[in-house]
Amino acid sequence: MESFFIRYRNLLVLLGILLAQVIGLAVQVRQTDAGRNTLDPQDGPGVRLIRLWANALVTPPERLIHISKLGTDSFWQNYLDLRHVREQNQDLQKTIDRLRLEQAALLEDARQGQRLQALLDFQQKYIYKTVAAQAIGSSGSDQSHVFYIDKGADYQLHPDMAVITADGIVGKVRDVFPHSAQVLAINDQTSGAGVILETTRIRGILRGNASGQLQIVGILADNRIQPGEKVLTAGGDLIFPRGLPVGVVEKVVRDPDRDSFVDVIVKPAAHLDRLDEVLAITATEPRFSTEQQQDLATSEALKGAEAAAIKEQKKASEIMAERLPGLVDPNLPPDQQPLHDSSNPNLVAHPPQALHPDRFTPGGAPDTATGTGAGSTPEDTAKPAQANSQDRPDGADSKSVPKAKTKPQQSKPQQFKPQENP
Amino acid sequence: MPVLGANFRRDLEIRRYPVLAYALVPLAALVLQAWLPRVLGPYAWFDLPLVVTVYFALGRRSPIQGTLMGAGMGIFEDALTHHAIGINGIAKTVVGFLAASVGIRIDVENFTIRLLLVFLLSLASSATYVFVYRVLLGLDLEWNWFTELFTAVGNSLIAMVLFPLLDRLQIRD
Repeated sequence: MESFFIRYRNLLVLLGILLAQVIGLAVQVRQTDAGRNTLDPQDGPGVRLIRLWANALVTPPERLIHISKLGTDSFWQNYLDLRHVREQNQDLQKTIDRLRLEQAALLEDARQGQRLQALLDFQQKYIYKTVAAQAIGSSGSDQSHVFYIDKGADYQLHPDMAVITADGIVGKVRDVFPHSAQVLAINDQTSGAGVILETTRIRGILRGNASGQLQIVGILADNRIQPGEKVLTAGGDLIFPRGLPVGVVEKVVRDPDRDSFVDVIVKPAAHLDRLDEVLAITATEPRFSTEQQQDLATSEALKGAEAAAIKEQKKASEIMAERLPGLVDPNLPPDQQPLHDSSNPNLVAHPPQALHPDRFTPGGAPDTATGTGAGSTPEDTAKPAQANSQDRPDGADSKSVPKAKTKPQQSKPQQFKPQENP
Repeated sequence: MPVLGANFRRDLEIRRYPVLAYALVPLAALVLQAWLPRVLGPYAWFDLPLVVTVYFALGRRSPIQGTLMGAGMGIFEDALTHHAIGINGIAKTVVGFLAASVGIRIDVENFTIRLLLVFLLSLASSATYVFVYRVLLGLDLEWNWFTELFTAVGNSLIAMVLFPLLDRLQIRD
């Protein structure tokens, strides 16, 4: 018996370890009401402990690498690579001024929308509070699109909080550790988010596929869905606030399992492969945040100041107009006007003759009754041009006019020189 | 003659490493595996813990040690994902055992054989992963074999560079 264990000890150890892991896996899987197996979304105490240990072991070196990288980047960007910063700053200042005015107008609309929603007993949740975090690591596996951020329970993060960037949504917090958190990206196969197509208003569920692409599943085939259409969060999943950008439709493919359905492949708005800074939404409220309200007040103050400045300018110009002598006094005859010049009695205030009379030339406009309007043919428009060319002061005859009537494409281009006034 | 016996040859070619190497090299592999995909994006076609497991299993030529190391690395990798703990563990356990078992029987000093082994064991690891996920657990999983093929090639290329470097760590008499 002893020789059996010694002889097959390698195999026995292998089988023992495999068996232990299989039992451990069986504990983590459960069956749904529909009879399908699924992973338990809530980790058991043992599993959570293993994850905690692994995280505690990997996070400090990752944080160290990340800080080193940030330090190098910061040194380069803040001290060495400062070209064109002044110009950029000026441009950005102009953009801020413009956006503040636009924001004031948009927030007025949003306020009106809020009032209407309150009337309809429907409350739109606005992003009220966020926590900025750095992505410091990933799962390291193609089959698991999760990443780690450097903020955790110490910043009041909780599971199922939405994680976004300025470009669009990124994922949701899956697990929270003391000083870090695990975020499930939206391109994972097990993720899900309610989305809506911006123009067609078709709703669907967003998830990832095996290639790490985003796709909206369970949509009935619809010809209106075209590449380039924007995809937004629908707000029904109670994780992502409504209206956040998700991406744009890249292509529409047939669902391999169901004939009448299609899968919409979406190009993500956020750079999911190279995430650096993200925002975890820690609170949503049916009102604007303090910062937004301050921005609104600033915008309104600026808008009011700009309107007051314009009003002041108008008022000043009116006062100046009253005080200065007028160019034309309606009470005086023409020969006694202040600016009347009696030295040149032959001066006639006629507009100069046009070299190429057209329908905008005074006196040269064709009769609308003859149908020579905007849609008229070259044959029609050539007639008045020929008639006017006979009266030209430089004496040019009708031959010099391009023959649009017969062969306009063969007419030679003419070089016109500025004519002296006779 | 006992000198020509298989056991003597095996004992002679067992490699020994400093204790720190057993601790730091796997840890470095796990940390880099978690960090590098952030830098390389979707082109992170490699599995450093697998390469390290194969290296130590081939060098130590002990199936038990290879099994334990594979299990530890796999469970650690699983702990960093959101999947069940044990899927990668089983895959790496099998790989560690196979690598050590093969290391006893064939000459693993040959560089080409080492690379070929890494390539084949990478595919074996992927196949075991799919088997456990789909058959054993009965879970839905879309799978892209091209990615696994690229990963196997990437592992071989990394092994080409990493194995000679790790060889320098071994204790020589």
